[in-house]
Amino acid sequence: MEEHYRAFKRRNLFRLSLTYLSPLLVLIIYLYIQYDGLMQESNRLHLRAIAESQANTLDLFLEERRINLSNLIDDPRFKMPPSPETIQANLEKLKRASGAFVDIGYFDSTGVQIGYAGPYPSLEKRNYSSEPWYITLKHEPDEFIITDIYRGFRDQPHFTIAVSRFINGEFAVLRATLSPDRIHEYLSSLEGSQEVFSSIVNTDGYFQVVTEQLGTPLEQSNIIPPQNPLIGSDEHEGKPDQTTAAVGAGSNTYAYAWLRGVKWAVIVQSSSTTGGSIFSGFRLRIILTSAVVVLVIFLIINNRANKLVQWQKESDETRDQLEHAAKMASVGELAAGIAHEINNPLAVINEEAGLMKDLMNPEFEETETIEQLTGHLDTIQQSVFRCRDITRKLLGFVRRSAADLKPHDIHRLIDRVVDGLLGPELAVSNVEVIKRYGPDIPEITTDENQLQQVLLNIVNNGVDALEERPGQISLATACEKGKFLISITDTGKGIPPDELDKIFLPFFTTKEVGKGTGLGLSVSYGIIKGLGGKIEVESSVGQGSTFIISLPLK
Amino acid sequence: MANIKLLIVDDEVKFLESIARRLEMRDFDVTTAANGAEAVKAARAAGFDLALLDLKMPGMDGKQVLELLKKEHKYLEVIILTGHGSVDSAVECTKLGAFGYLPKPYELEELLAVLQQAYEARMKKKFESNQAKLDEITRLAIGSSPLGIMRELAKLDDKEK
Repeated sequence: MEEHYRAFKRRNLFRLSLTYLSPLLVLIIYLYIQYDGLMQESNRLHLRAIAESQANTLDLFLEERRINLSNLIDDPRFKMPPSPETIQANLEKLKRASGAFVDIGYFDSTGVQIGYAGPYPSLEKRNYSSEPWYITLKHEPDEFIITDIYRGFRDQPHFTIAVSRFINGEFAVLRATLSPDRIHEYLSSLEGSQEVFSSIVNTDGYFQVVTEQLGTPLEQSNIIPPQNPLIGSDEHEGKPDQTTAAVGAGSNTYAYAWLRGVKWAVIVQSSSTTGGSIFSGFRLRIILTSAVVVLVIFLIINNRANKLVQWQKESDETRDQLEHAAKMASVGELAAGIAHEINNPLAVINEEAGLMKDLMNPEFEETETIEQLTGHLDTIQQSVFRCRDITRKLLGFVRRSAADLKPHDIHRLIDRVVDGLLGPELAVSNVEVIKRYGPDIPEITTDENQLQQVLLNIVNNGVDALEERPGQISLATACEKGKFLISITDTGKGIPPDELDKIFLPFFTTKEVGKGTGLGLSVSYGIIKGLGGKIEVESSVGQGSTFIISLPLK
Repeated sequence: MANIKLLIVDDEVKFLESIARRLEMRDFDVTTAANGAEAVKAARAAGFDLALLDLKMPGMDGKQVLELLKKEHKYLEVIILTGHGSVDSAVECTKLGAFGYLPKPYELEELLAVLQQAYEARMKKKFESNQAKLDEITRLAIGSSPLGIMRELAKLDDKEK
């Protein structure tokens, strides 16, 4: 029973939730997506601005470095080959201009480093003529090159800025190497760079300058920005790295800006602190508010569902009480009926027994024959059987709950009653039985004995109602709207309208004393109700009566 | 003492037969009726001292018969015999003028005792009534002409029926 109510509550909760929560959830999700798009767009614009500004700054920085070098080589006092002091002094000069300079070297037209100052003195006298940057620079009309990062002879990531001149008709090159670390430091020092991870990649997507959170220089980046347009933003495919994943929206978003002076692109990604803390606060508020609203609605729904269960329980209890009251009333009625019906035969027995005692009393001087005495004893026995009939039928009331349900061929069941049980009697009493069985009647799950008892009662009543013989009893079956119907029609005297509503009452009978107990129809009614069906009756006086039993098909 | 004239009304024929026989053996002058209409007819045909009446009968039921008998026969005492014994119906029947109410089945001695009481009650009532009639006659005899007395007596006789 409790389980039944729990299921009822679950159903209600589900239904109410569907009704009230789902539109709300859809709305929340819609707003959230809208907001998310907005936030991503804003994030993208923000990143682009940073990328653009960093690219500009970097362009300026590299241009400055080129000018530093150009100034040195264009110095009118400069002579090839330079003296080691000059070289050292020039390196000092460069380092003052920018800490990114690592070393400095001079090359003659054969590509040999003829002068060097810096931390790798072993590089002096090396031949660079087959180095890609040297070859390129030789054919460079701008007399200037900035290389991508490479490891070179020193086996350390660095990049080269070199300028070339013809000094006294001789091809000469001044080159300086710069450390990507210092560039990175420089980038990090720029405004707005704390919110983002910046990196620089070349056209092939190799890191030139990078924060250690993203990778190391010369590593392949998972982002290769498009060449066109020069500034833009996009989603990168690879999985978002952990730090950016924390931001949620925009974790795959990056902005890039190509440098003008060199084929490098600045790539800017949100770091964990970016995405706009004001935005994430706003997002949190949306989620919290939605959660609170959903919770409140759910609590209301839960409360409502509990109420419904309580109402259901109360109405069930009321119905139970009503049923119990109805049962008690019918028990009361029954008890009164039983008292009367049994007291009468008891009174007969009492009188007969008393009479026989009187007859045997010599005081009265009666002379009764054996036959006469037997007659009195017969009356006593008849009365006893009347009492027994009543008690037996009463058991029908009691036993009807324990129905023995099995599938039955209903037509054969009816045949067993009208042909088998009642057949000889019907034939003798000149009653014709007409069967109009419907086609395609499935097997009906029912209690054979109980249903036979009902049919027996109704057919017997029909026969008793037939005043003119020969009479007819028709039995018809049909299936209709998930119900199985049996109708039993007699051509008897019919039931007056004022008795129609009494015929199912216990002990209501119109038959002579001792002929009917008044229990047949009320027991039948109880049985059919117990089997989940009902009995209806139609009758018109002088025409006959029809009893219709309907039983559930399943 | 003359035999008590008794009417028994019950739809249970076997009961009727045996109770009638037993009471006849006890010197009652018994008439039986199997339903209300028969009972009323019998009572109209012959005056009875007492009546035993069943309540639940087809056709006219016991209470209707009781009302009718009491209306039509001033001194008739009616005793209700019923298997449908309940306090409510007993009270109702007493209000309608029944002398006694005996639930079935009963001991014959009980019935005989009630019949005795009822008969005595009837006799007493009749005696009182006769006394009143006597007083009236005496009053008339003293103050009226013989012709007036005759007329008044005829009136009293009418009343008694």
